[in-house]
Amino acid sequence: MSVEFAGLRLANPVFTASGTCGYADELADFMDVDALGGFITKSITLKPRKGNPTPRIVETDAGMLNAIGLANVGLERFVAEKLPVIARMKSAVFVNVAGTTIEEYVAVVERLAGEKALAGFELNISCPNVKKGGISFGTDPAQVEEITRAVKKACGSKVLIVKLAPAVTDISVTARAAVAGGADALSLINTFTAMVIDIETRRPVLTNRTGGLSGPAIKPIAVYLVNKVYREVAREARIPLLGLGGIRSAADAVEFLMAGATAVAVGTASFVEPDCAVQIVAGLRDYCARKKITRLAELTGSLDRPA
Amino acid sequence: MTQERASRKKGSHTATVLSNVQAGECFWKLRFRFEGEAAQAFAGFRPGQFIQFDTSELAIPSIETIPVALRNGARRNVLLRRPFSFSDVTVESNVTTADLLYCIVGPASLRMTTLREGDTASIVGPLGNGFAVREGTRIALLVVGGMGLPPIRCLAKSLSVEHPDITAVAFIGSRTVNALPLEERPAVFEEDLSLSVPTFATLGVPSMVATDDGSAGHRGPVTECLSQWLQENADRPREEIVVYACGPERMLAAVARIANEKDIDCQVSMERRMACGIGLCQSCAIECRLADSDETIYKLCCQDGPVFDAREVVFGTDDA
Repeated sequence: MSVEFAGLRLANPVFTASGTCGYADELADFMDVDALGGFITKSITLKPRKGNPTPRIVETDAGMLNAIGLANVGLERFVAEKLPVIARMKSAVFVNVAGTTIEEYVAVVERLAGEKALAGFELNISCPNVKKGGISFGTDPAQVEEITRAVKKACGSKVLIVKLAPAVTDISVTARAAVAGGADALSLINTFTAMVIDIETRRPVLTNRTGGLSGPAIKPIAVYLVNKVYREVAREARIPLLGLGGIRSAADAVEFLMAGATAVAVGTASFVEPDCAVQIVAGLRDYCARKKITRLAELTGSLDRPA
Repeated sequence: MTQERASRKKGSHTATVLSNVQAGECFWKLRFRFEGEAAQAFAGFRPGQFIQFDTSELAIPSIETIPVALRNGARRNVLLRRPFSFSDVTVESNVTTADLLYCIVGPASLRMTTLREGDTASIVGPLGNGFAVREGTRIALLVVGGMGLPPIRCLAKSLSVEHPDITAVAFIGSRTVNALPLEERPAVFEEDLSLSVPTFATLGVPSMVATDDGSAGHRGPVTECLSQWLQENADRPREEIVVYACGPERMLAAVARIANEKDIDCQVSMERRMACGIGLCQSCAIECRLADSDETIYKLCCQDGPVFDAREVVFGTDDA
């Protein structure tokens, strides 16, 4: 079940996605967090952020919209309170980093680059719910390359994953820009900007007006985009992809692997079944046994190889 | 010492449905049985704590039985769990039974009406912090507005069993008499505190009902009953009194204001839209004052609450 991901040997290819699993061991009451292949923290910014006023979420027919607004404790408290807990975790831990300027991203990464407890960083340049920074970095290829290069320089030996925004004309363009900037891996996809209207009050349900759509609704799009980036960018550049978007079962995870992902992340599903990610690890093991697959890497991108 | 407000271990559990019946025009009542590890987990349930209930796999009732106002949304898929508080928890050796009083408001609660005896349900809990009973409390004033009834009824029982030295009094507010659960409707609505509301009377808790439309009991907001009681009992030492409230946020804000004016401790059970209920999604933010500061922070309803000290909450409009 082990996989190689950007030079790291991971026990299995299943991660929990940023913003859905807390800072460290919050899910420990429900599952063995050490059974995860990887763990991505909630977004950390240089200064603490309160986040948006409520309502911050609304359920839709096959997913949910969130507009949390990057609420987080900030770098200082993260280092003081969360890092010691992370140091005891066995899975590869990546800190998701967000900011409003390149300097802020770099400052967070510089402070954390020397921490042994961390495997690397995930660059959040695709958050749809903040006014400055976030997705505005992630849709312009020149900015994607610039911020990736600046952060990579601060990363030291740590792995840098760049998380891509899905709502762009051609996601391969931003993927190429991230690779050119020095990304070690790409994660895709983040949420889609969306809106739900309350027809009684004639107002958007979310105070932020819009929110990021996640959950089963976006899974087929995510599978397509992973496959597109795999074929057009990642395969040739030998850059691993972390696939996510609506994964709820091992079967969903296998689709992403076949489409070209080396690893997968479970997000919204953890809200419903807190131990969903470790159930998926078990389900993947069963699938491999049934299909007589000895190395998971065989599955990656197998969609585009002869059956 | 303040009693523990949270049971120690939360988890994902399976419950068996013992019964599921309509309990009034607005309310339904589900009774669950927990066995084994789950029985132990919920034996430690504290009043005011909550559960996250998975209704995503339940059947939709037939369309003609669905209230017209809910038909538009009835077929919408349910993805997320829904938070509920128990109205009663009974522990007997290795079995814990719990009552969930609910209103039909959307696709999830509609689906809940199709549960039948013997069905199983997936429940995450017990979650959050319940009401705290501080040492020195002699009088507990229980204030309910509409759907805020379940955790307060649960608290009334726990007070009568675990704190017989505390005198509890309940004020139950409802839009109209027909919106009260059947069990809560007395044969005769008294205008003053009396042992009239059956579920509270059996616990020895005097109560009175207030309705917005005057269809029963006091006509007007339930907070007027609270104010009146405080006025009539102005000689009671304020440090002996605690107000516990659950209901619409506007009501909680009014209760908090009344308690604050008299410098009486007040605990409010808050509600917010939640995705996870376990502190991951950060959606259930409650704006809270920082002590000795004009600054506010967001706390999480699921993790820091749902019961908060009324002094720290910056009340807004109804959210959930």
